[in-house]
Amino acid sequence: MTPAFRLRGVSKRYEPFVLEALDLDLPEGQIMGLVGVNGAGKTTLLRLLAGLTLPDTGSVEVLGLAMPREQVRVKQQLGLASEDMRLYGSQTLAWHMDFMRRFYPEWDAAYAQHLLRRFDLRAEQKLAGCSHGQRVKALLLLTLARRPRLLLLDEPTTGLDPVARAEVLEALAEVLLDERRSVLFSSHQTQEVERLADRIGFLHAGRLLACEDKESYLGRWRRLVGQGSVDELVSGWPEVAQLRRSGSQIELRVREHGEALLQRLAGAGLQLRQCEPMSLEEIFVTTVRNESRREGALA
Amino acid sequence: MSAALNRPAIRALVVKDWQLFEKQLAAYVLAGIGALALIGHAQRWSFYVGSLMLIIIMVAVACFAVSTSLLNERKDKTLAFVMSLPVSPLDFYLAKLIGNLITFGLPFLILAGGAVAVTLSTPVPDGLITLVLLLCAHQLLAFCLSLCVAMQVESEGWNIFAMIGSSVLINPLMAGLSQIPDIARHWPTNEVVWSWQALAILAAQLLLSLALLGYTSWRHLRKQAFY
Repeated sequence: MTPAFRLRGVSKRYEPFVLEALDLDLPEGQIMGLVGVNGAGKTTLLRLLAGLTLPDTGSVEVLGLAMPREQVRVKQQLGLASEDMRLYGSQTLAWHMDFMRRFYPEWDAAYAQHLLRRFDLRAEQKLAGCSHGQRVKALLLLTLARRPRLLLLDEPTTGLDPVARAEVLEALAEVLLDERRSVLFSSHQTQEVERLADRIGFLHAGRLLACEDKESYLGRWRRLVGQGSVDELVSGWPEVAQLRRSGSQIELRVREHGEALLQRLAGAGLQLRQCEPMSLEEIFVTTVRNESRREGALA
Repeated sequence: MSAALNRPAIRALVVKDWQLFEKQLAAYVLAGIGALALIGHAQRWSFYVGSLMLIIIMVAVACFAVSTSLLNERKDKTLAFVMSLPVSPLDFYLAKLIGNLITFGLPFLILAGGAVAVTLSTPVPDGLITLVLLLCAHQLLAFCLSLCVAMQVESEGWNIFAMIGSSVLINPLMAGLSQIPDIARHWPTNEVVWSWQALAILAAQLLLSLALLGYTSWRHLRKQAFY
């Protein structure tokens, strides 16, 4: 099966940011959520895939076609909606829909009308008079109604109020039911990623820290709480991401949970009281803090 | 990069730019026709006021075309939207070039043609045709320079400097032309005389305009980022 995209050794430098040689694939039909702090490289990655910027090294293949050589064919089947992308304020949404129709033979006018009603937008309203939420929904409408095979969404719900966010997420969930459609979306909202994504990618300071199936990834992390005289050296074990003490209580966050680890921890003196799964947000914060500490130590 | 041009996409982008700016351009043309009417009135005061108005309008048209279609597209972040459409950088560049040549060129040709017609058909001395055309050619050169800078440089300051700087050079040009006897002595007469100096300046202006457009194309096709 052709992957939705394949990156090999892709790097990009904008002083002082560097996206380090990146290998990343997304199988067709999958939804990847990209998580990272501001400046992690999420937008750069999406721009590279959309042909808005060229890599310094490496190769980018989207829907089986080499970028940027085949970018027109790729863009025919690709939809990009980015937080820093704007529409023409002096024109109406109807004008924009007419404009898009000229580029996309697959433009689905009936679906556009459906989204117009669903997002409670007025086609004759000029974009300059719209709220931020309405502009985001208008951009999503224009992106979704072209029926892209690969959808790239950069922070699609940033700045939206809770009602608008719910509307957008419901529309996205509907789109994601189409099993042939692949999606890569970045978000600060880890709950959204946890809810929508099949795969999770962690970007930090231009490096991909993790990229794998959501269930198995979340399944490996655990928060362990217990007591005992655990040696500080335990925090250096590769499975242990964080060790914290609070009075007599010890909290461990582990990235490779398993029976063998629990036995070793018991051998090290941990009397386990609690073992619970972690949310993506907790994993994200733990991972980023660990990386920042590691970088600080190296510096 | 694929060399095949996406003609329907180029056409759609050119039409888009035209639709975005047609009302303002129509206003410029109307104001220009007003200026031509003043020049054609052939009174000393109306000639000076009309000439000044016409020059201002031509400068404004050049600045408007470049700033709205290129600088504002970057500033308003609509460039990323356009570049996410199925267009290559070459398609985009050609669409911008054609769009700009139309949005500037159409009012420019109407106003330049009008200036020539008014000079030849009213009591204004016909000999001024050389001055009229050399000033029009300077405006064309100033537009090409502004377009070239806008395509390469993102800094608003440098773009404003290029637009204003190239346009105000019209003053030293007029002063310089009036110091060349073989050009200036025919202005008050009804005889249209193209001296070799006038032809050389006109040719230099046109060749430099073409060279700037060529250089802009060469540089644009080597760009690394399009948002």
